[in-house]
Amino acid sequence: MARLLAQARFIIGAFVVALILAVAAPVSAQQPSHVSPNAAAVKEQQLLNALSPGGSVGGRVSIPDQKSGNLIHPAGRDWTRFHEVTLRWIGAISVLGMLIVLVAFYLIRGQVKLESGFSGRRIVRFNAFERFVHWMTATCFIILAISGLNITFGKPLLMPLIGEPAFAGWSQWAKYAHNYLSFPFAIGVVLIFLMWIAGNIPNKVDVEWLKRGGGIVGHDHPPAYRFNGGQKMIYWIVVIGGAAVAISGYLLMFPFYVTGIEGQQLAQVVHGVIGALFVAAMLGHIYIGTIGMEGAFEAMGEGTVDVNWAKEHHALWLEQEMARTGPNESQRQPMATPAE
Amino acid sequence: MKSFVLACVAAVAIAAVAGVVLNSAQKPADQAFSTTGVRL
Repeated sequence: MARLLAQARFIIGAFVVALILAVAAPVSAQQPSHVSPNAAAVKEQQLLNALSPGGSVGGRVSIPDQKSGNLIHPAGRDWTRFHEVTLRWIGAISVLGMLIVLVAFYLIRGQVKLESGFSGRRIVRFNAFERFVHWMTATCFIILAISGLNITFGKPLLMPLIGEPAFAGWSQWAKYAHNYLSFPFAIGVVLIFLMWIAGNIPNKVDVEWLKRGGGIVGHDHPPAYRFNGGQKMIYWIVVIGGAAVAISGYLLMFPFYVTGIEGQQLAQVVHGVIGALFVAAMLGHIYIGTIGMEGAFEAMGEGTVDVNWAKEHHALWLEQEMARTGPNESQRQPMATPAE
Repeated sequence: MKSFVLACVAAVAIAAVAGVVLNSAQKPADQAFSTTGVRL
């Protein structure tokens, strides 16, 4: 009897064990079989791999912007270092370097004088529409440059001077101006491209002009058509640089519409570097168009230049204009009534 | 001078139109990413 009871206990025990295993089997089947969840969460090699270039560590968030689930993005550190350190060096060297060069050049060379003196006869250099487009682009550029430099240099240079609240208010309005004035600037760049492309194709005359120092170095007056080699360089800097800052700027203005985070960082790098170099180049343009050369500002200020100025700096263009309009045409443009 | 003044006026006018269009096309982050359960 006792033996029978022992056999019954064994059978019931085996049945219970089998029942427990049968119930437990589906639960164990739901667990990842290859690795323990806890071990996987802290596996160092996986973290190191995720922190390699291009990798990231992220989780899940319940708000609509799923990008906020990104915890660590190592490339972001490189980008932060770029715009906090590298870009400031690039901007400082290019802008301050250009200012130093221009001041030194002015002190050494002085203003490029009109050697044959003013004749009193004027010739139309830029018509009203050309000047309108130039000034719309130029005024926008100056505000874009100031507000852009504020983004790069404002925090370390301006904020300590005016305080955090004032800097925050100024920066907010500067950003609005930067965003909104980018549109007339971009329109201006497109119009400049279309308006002056015919006269800005490089040719052999430009090579000779550059070899002879462009009349800026020394007192030579190499002939040039409507736009000389230096002006053509400025033209292409405006067109290519303007297109680059506009495209990269609109990628930043409409974040994540076209690119991911890497594209946004690249757009910021391009925008910052090209913008700083653009400012430096335009400082040179402003210098030679104002105090750097006697009689140059009137071309864009009033639309006309003195015939002797045209003869010294754009002799081939003057010949073309004389052949087109006749030798006495220029006398019809008195200084007191510039064409509008 | 007239060209310069007209250029400034045109720049401001285009910028104002751009501002209106941009503000209607985009919302600030605190509005764009707020939900009934999350207020930013």
